[in-house]
Amino acid sequence: MDLLTGLLTTAFLAGAVLALAALGEVLTERVGVVNLGVEGLMAMGAVTGIATVTVVPSPMLGFLAALVVGALFGMVFALATVYVRANQVLCGLALTLMGSGLASTIGRNYSGMPSPVIFEPVKVPVLSEIPVLGPAFFSQNILFYLIYLILPIFFSYLMFSTRHGLNMRAVGENPAAADAAGIPVNLMRFSYVTIGAALAAGAGAYLTLAFVPSWSDGVVAGRGWIAVALVIFAGYRPIMATLSGLLFGLITALGFVGQARGWPIAPAFLSMLPYLGTVAFIIVPVLAWQKMRRAMAAPAALAVPYYRDMR
Amino acid sequence: MSMNSIRNLSRRGFLNMSAAAGSSLLLPQGILSSALAAGPLPAVAEEEAVIGFGHVGPITDEGWTWSHHQGLLAVKEAFPKLKTTLEVENVPYSADATRTYRQFVSEGANMIFDTSSTGDFLHQVVKRAPEVAFMECNGHALMDNLGWYYLAHWYPTYVMGVAAGHLSKTGQLGYVASFPVASVYASTNAFLMGARTVNPDATLQTIVINSWFDPQAATQAGTALIDNGCDFLFGIMDEAGYLQVAEKRGVWAAMWNTDIRRYGPNAYVSSVIIDFKDFYVDQVGKRLAGTWTPGEHILPMGGGVDRDKWGQNVPEEVGKAADEVREKILGGWSPFVGELKDKDGKVRVEAGQKMTELELYNWDWSVDGVSGLES
Repeated sequence: MDLLTGLLTTAFLAGAVLALAALGEVLTERVGVVNLGVEGLMAMGAVTGIATVTVVPSPMLGFLAALVVGALFGMVFALATVYVRANQVLCGLALTLMGSGLASTIGRNYSGMPSPVIFEPVKVPVLSEIPVLGPAFFSQNILFYLIYLILPIFFSYLMFSTRHGLNMRAVGENPAAADAAGIPVNLMRFSYVTIGAALAAGAGAYLTLAFVPSWSDGVVAGRGWIAVALVIFAGYRPIMATLSGLLFGLITALGFVGQARGWPIAPAFLSMLPYLGTVAFIIVPVLAWQKMRRAMAAPAALAVPYYRDMR
Repeated sequence: MSMNSIRNLSRRGFLNMSAAAGSSLLLPQGILSSALAAGPLPAVAEEEAVIGFGHVGPITDEGWTWSHHQGLLAVKEAFPKLKTTLEVENVPYSADATRTYRQFVSEGANMIFDTSSTGDFLHQVVKRAPEVAFMECNGHALMDNLGWYYLAHWYPTYVMGVAAGHLSKTGQLGYVASFPVASVYASTNAFLMGARTVNPDATLQTIVINSWFDPQAATQAGTALIDNGCDFLFGIMDEAGYLQVAEKRGVWAAMWNTDIRRYGPNAYVSSVIIDFKDFYVDQVGKRLAGTWTPGEHILPMGGGVDRDKWGQNVPEEVGKAADEVREKILGGWSPFVGELKDKDGKVRVEAGQKMTELELYNWDWSVDGVSGLES
């Protein structure tokens, strides 16, 4: 396999986790809620995925089970932040701690066991013959296409080309105005926080059912936090979130390939690349695209609980 | 006490660069299990004894920490009347380690094992609790009540290197490394030296992933190595990430810590198997009997560390050829004899000179053919 194909394969594989989790967080933040529990949700999704496939050997079922568990946790979080209006940052941290802890407790029985079934790669006919991109992108498992193509395009269309999407964004920008226009603010927030949490858990399941594929305590290793950071870089846009996940995967892959090829760059520097990348991700857009400042800004009501009687 | 260079830092404790103290370098080279002048600590009745273990990871990791936990279980079995045993997982390399071990002391521990060196964070407690015996795995310091222990993993690694020399077609070996620390230098060097006895042109490419446990990074590193032409992967990780990659891509892989062949039965060649059970039972026994003195212990091959049973796809003659080397080493022969050159061609070990166990333990340079650790 040549350099570029190898690089892209690794990038796509590693990027998918971040892309899916970041997409979920985009949905959550667009309706004005910050969910810092992504790390914990991913851990729960990862352990749910593997626990399910040990009982029923179907990776799709494992993935669905993870989505359901993620949604349940998301509902609890949404109940606390949207209806009770508790502090979102604290609730998110609590969710991370609880999710990671619970996952490692449940995972004790599953640690040290390869996943009995995994998502097998599907070669897309014709397209997989394309040089470079073919083996890297069109010879992957089915989740892959869901994460990189179907979900981002669907949510992008929903968010920017439908009335429902307009309502959804209005809730995140100005809930009082949205409320006055007859949009059910709390229900909207509750729904998308739940969906976002489900996707985060799905990203965890992708880890144990396709990428790594086995459970071990600490398997998420901080990717949840990176996903939260990517949302800002992506300007709260679904397709951008997916692409930034991929870009992050690419930068990570570059570090490994550089070491494998013995490039005359210090390994320490190559390992630093993802983090330098993150810094660049945050700084470059601010400096380079001053005009896009408004377009890339966070939803105005982000992290602000909505009280109808305080309008 | 002398400050070591960065590469002499302990296995786990790489991050705190100021923490390594290299008192062992002041001792006569090659003398192991040496005791200090101070007398042994007084005996403790088994019914009143409290033994503590602090681990770097979770005991379910199926690797390093799991193996030490087995040691604790063996101690419990050998001394069923122990008052209590204390065990804390995921002790971080920070002041939290100091708190953990101080807690052990305040709960009345008579003997404490730090199964993954926490350096100065432990030593602070050691100095304040002279009546408690401390043992630090992969430590470097020796005090009146502190000793250290480790494994001569370079011998089974050399044996596996011989097998790799036979099995690898491209002669390009890949290595998933954690940090550029002494155990990794010893591991990579021994592995390539073994392989070069069969294939003199073999090379070893390492990727440093800055973690002992990161399945995602190990998976990517393994993929990158294979993409680059490696057809035999080795590494020093506490999980099976790159073994699963090797299985998927149809290349060979050798592992560390425990038998995890079920993650990749076709790719699995062998593993550096570690076993601390007898050592822990011996040390606790000595502490209870009042004969424990701090010492430096490097457990030999066959006495705490060994290669695992060969994988199902390893041809019989390859296993046999490698096992002949193992027998030779068990018989007292050492493969680590000069002349050895580093990657710049500088002679580091003179012809005919044999490296001592302590030199192997503190190895801090790459032999010719190993790339990626030093830049």
